[in-house]
Amino acid sequence: MEITKKDVELAAKLAKMQVSDREAAIYQEQLEALFKWVAELAAVNTDSVRLTNVNHCAHMRPDVAVSNPALAAELRGAFDQEQDQCAKVKKVL
Amino acid sequence: MMTALEIVKAVSSGEQTAEQITRQSLAKIAELNPAINAFVEVFETDALARAQEIDAKRARGEKLGALAGVPVAIKDNILYKGHKATCCSKMLENYVASYTSTVVEKLLAADAVIIGRANMDEFAMGSTNQTSVYGPVKNPANLECVPGGSSGGSAAAVAAGMVPVALGTDTGGSVRQPAGFCGVVGIKPGYGRISRYGVISFASSADQVGVLSRTVADSAKVLEVIAGKDVHDSTSLDAPVPAYDQLFTEGLKGVKVGLPKGFLDGLGQDIKDKMHQAAEHLKALGAELVEVDVPYAKYAAPCYYIITSAEASSNLGRYDGIRYGYADNEAKDLNAYYEGSRAPFGLEVKKRLIIGTYALTSERYEECFLKAMKVRELIRDDFKKAFEKVDVLLTPTSPTTAFKLGQHSEDPLALYLADLYTCQGNIGGLAGISVPFGKDAKGLPIGVQFYGPILKEEKILNAAYNLEKSI
Repeated sequence: MEITKKDVELAAKLAKMQVSDREAAIYQEQLEALFKWVAELAAVNTDSVRLTNVNHCAHMRPDVAVSNPALAAELRGAFDQEQDQCAKVKKVL
Repeated sequence: MMTALEIVKAVSSGEQTAEQITRQSLAKIAELNPAINAFVEVFETDALARAQEIDAKRARGEKLGALAGVPVAIKDNILYKGHKATCCSKMLENYVASYTSTVVEKLLAADAVIIGRANMDEFAMGSTNQTSVYGPVKNPANLECVPGGSSGGSAAAVAAGMVPVALGTDTGGSVRQPAGFCGVVGIKPGYGRISRYGVISFASSADQVGVLSRTVADSAKVLEVIAGKDVHDSTSLDAPVPAYDQLFTEGLKGVKVGLPKGFLDGLGQDIKDKMHQAAEHLKALGAELVEVDVPYAKYAAPCYYIITSAEASSNLGRYDGIRYGYADNEAKDLNAYYEGSRAPFGLEVKKRLIIGTYALTSERYEECFLKAMKVRELIRDDFKKAFEKVDVLLTPTSPTTAFKLGQHSEDPLALYLADLYTCQGNIGGLAGISVPFGKDAKGLPIGVQFYGPILKEEKILNAAYNLEKSI
């Protein structure tokens, strides 16, 4: 499983954290080693496994980017103003 | 310092006062903590006041609790109202608990004395206690070595004789691995046995409070006090808590001990030899040794790092400067505010949050998180089947003894492997105990581990009690 510096930066952004260039480079190397290890799980046949404790949707991150342009436009349309393809809201802080 | 059970006897009989015991503990901490760094805060005034209350209670002729006068250290992620709980992180450096955790409430109700906050890896993420914002803990057996983690402060405090008992938390081995490294007993009961109410979350499906002590009997008594259903934690199990020490037997006749196939492969000779010796001791005690197959257990570590990091990425989302944690009041917009407020996380915590977030992205969700969850089911089934054949399993606690501070810092995977044998217990929800069993050629403690089924802590306690006595 290849992990790029861009993957690290995207995950950091989704987790609302800043990472410096140096940190991103270190994390990229470490994550690549970890996910190589995780890739060993692919060898396990789990076709017949039924999960007993997972609500799939509940675990998906809510801040994953919406990739459907029509849906994104519809969501933005629910707000009064739009800017740079984002919904604009009143300052909350 | 006396064991917890000896202290209870001495205080209850009036041979010593709770205040005398507390002062002994405080003096030992003052003497040794500057070198070991096991405590990040000592509640001296509170502890002495509490001890005096216990003495006054005895003077009035009132019955004392099951842990009368026993000084207890609590890991820095367990809430005690009015006291700081920082998870040894800059993120929570000024956080003061607004309520008391159920485990501490139960300790106080049993007349224990909470002596202070024990050092830990930041947010319990680590197995060396080197990621604490308060600096590393040193192993009392060799000050150049790590004590293990993440409950390294708790283990070191017990091993150095500062306290007879400490509470830790165990998400992947954070009680048992430091217990093994420091040469003390560490038990993590099965998932749900102890309330997690008031324990700062890392990975909710794996977190459990555990006990560290110098003897198995002490761990059994403390577990008996703190275990049980709690209305504040829906995952706590509604099952009677036995008087564990009453279930100890002399010898292990009729007990089947499982030896998992392949578990000794790749181990150093010292630990391998000790495992063989431990098995021989158990046989001599009357136990029947049975080889068992748990083929999926080898996948526990990668599952553990995906699942716990994913859960952490959700749990630690609350440290955003609005709900909890540091607030970046210089930020110019909302995104900058969030990012600035989450900047105090240390490197290891940030890394795990990135791992967890990445594993939960829509692109990686199925092949990482969902896959790990499915393999977790297979691992659970493995252990369930094994416990149909045997009462307990015998495994090493760790693949190595304590290593030097700073060693493996460039190779996080090597550090992650320190949890190889312990994280299986968290992934499977099992009860596990590490008990000291001799030392390696360098004089460093070696721990051996027993696993037992959920709600059968008495089985592992009894096996450990007998093994401890056989040395």
